[in-house]
Amino acid sequence: MKNFKSIFFLSLIILASSCIEDDFVEDMIDPQIRFTSIIDTIGFNDTYQFEHIFLNNIGEIEQVDAIYTSSNPDIIPITEEGLASGLETGEAMISVSYETEDFSVKDSLRVVVGESTVTSLQKTSGQIMTTTFYELEGDFEFIETENGVTLSIAENYKASTALPGLYVYLSNNKNSIANALEIGPVEVFSGAHEYQIDDVGFDEFSFIVYFCKPFNVKVGDASL
Amino acid sequence: MKINIITIVLVFITSTLTAGGPWPQPKGKGYFKLSEWWTVFDQHYTDSGMIDPNLTTGIYNTTFYGEYGITDRFTAVVNAPLFSRTYMNNLRSSTTNEIIIAGESLNGVGDIDLGVKYGLTKPGSNIPISVTLGVGIPTGNPSGGSQGNLQTGDGEFNQSIQIDGGKSFKLFNKNAYLSSYAGFNNRTNDFSEEFRYGLELGIGLFNQKLWVATKLNGIKSFKNGATAETVNSTSLFANNSEFTSVALDFNYYITRRVGVSISYATAINGAIIAAAPAYSVGVFYDMK
Repeated sequence: MKNFKSIFFLSLIILASSCIEDDFVEDMIDPQIRFTSIIDTIGFNDTYQFEHIFLNNIGEIEQVDAIYTSSNPDIIPITEEGLASGLETGEAMISVSYETEDFSVKDSLRVVVGESTVTSLQKTSGQIMTTTFYELEGDFEFIETENGVTLSIAENYKASTALPGLYVYLSNNKNSIANALEIGPVEVFSGAHEYQIDDVGFDEFSFIVYFCKPFNVKVGDASL
Repeated sequence: MKINIITIVLVFITSTLTAGGPWPQPKGKGYFKLSEWWTVFDQHYTDSGMIDPNLTTGIYNTTFYGEYGITDRFTAVVNAPLFSRTYMNNLRSSTTNEIIIAGESLNGVGDIDLGVKYGLTKPGSNIPISVTLGVGIPTGNPSGGSQGNLQTGDGEFNQSIQIDGGKSFKLFNKNAYLSSYAGFNNRTNDFSEEFRYGLELGIGLFNQKLWVATKLNGIKSFKNGATAETVNSTSLFANNSEFTSVALDFNYYITRRVGVSISYATAINGAIIAAAPAYSVGVFYDMK
């Protein structure tokens, strides 16, 4: 009986050590600011309201007092709040910047004054790559649409079927899905397929992230 | 139909705890053990056999194991995780220290295994051979936690058949034994069938008060079950897990019948299984 008591108390001690603790993810990134409304031509005598997002050191969107400037205010004057006008034929670099004691960030865009304001839909492409030993690879196109964006994955895409609960996200931090947009579960493990994502701006996110949700493990990523 | 690598660890546990060998208990005699088994792992073997990190996960089982001789040839076997606890750590930002994903835990009863061992050879045979029929009862919880990813069981019935053979002999003038087994595990709910095997070498020291055993156990999957591609992808399904593990057991008789045991086991290769050692301490009662 003494021995059973001993093992009972030993079990209690072992179980007491089975508490939830903390794992840490290295999620620090450089802060950045970028345009989210992009035009390459502003119409003569038109006005256009530029917009931006600022991402802090974990990729989270923060509202900050950014300042807009024009390299040539005689051609395209712009208010500090980002309202631009096309005054003369020519071109100018439009910039948005934000500065603190610790850092300064800036994004610039070349804009031409033309007959009318042109807002063309954007498109980028790249390659999804595994960051683990699980198979995940394939080319993709990320295309702006009238309603949002389309993530179009190419025929050469392959993903491991061994992982349960594999999900796709759009994120501004490739090491974390905090503040990320969950597109949905992976349902296709080879070949071409598409995700239609409404109400998302083309420049709103920087990365595609594949994440094993039940085990909280990042499996792969791609830069947008 | 949900399983994860945790469940495979449970299989791994069972294999290292229940190696009763080919020797049925004599009629009216038995062997009973209460033990605490645990592993904590932050990496696992992938499907390609490589090692990847994962969120730190802990599994603790308080298990009752018993063998009882119904006749000299029939022995009833039970392996019951009376209390099983599994947890996953919080995931925190190293930049802000804020919790990104909150840790969770699940406590409950684990899956209970019942079996009957039959001695194919007569008691006292020079090379005893036995066959064991077993059933796994899904008494555990296969889908706890907010994501359904915490488990104390795999949620499926399974049936197994195992053949054990062995031989007692002298080693360095001490009593020793060598035993091995091979078995087939039939699983339901689209899980892959498994081939199980093991080899054990033990020796009695200090006038047989201390028994030391080394074990090799393994599972090979038939890979005939479902995968994430063939089931609803939102379910937490992993299948086709495999491993080869080695273990070292110490069993010390404090009295003629009562003793304590300590064991260490670790996978030396695997697929979809934890890559970390497992430990066990226990107390046993041997009605010899």
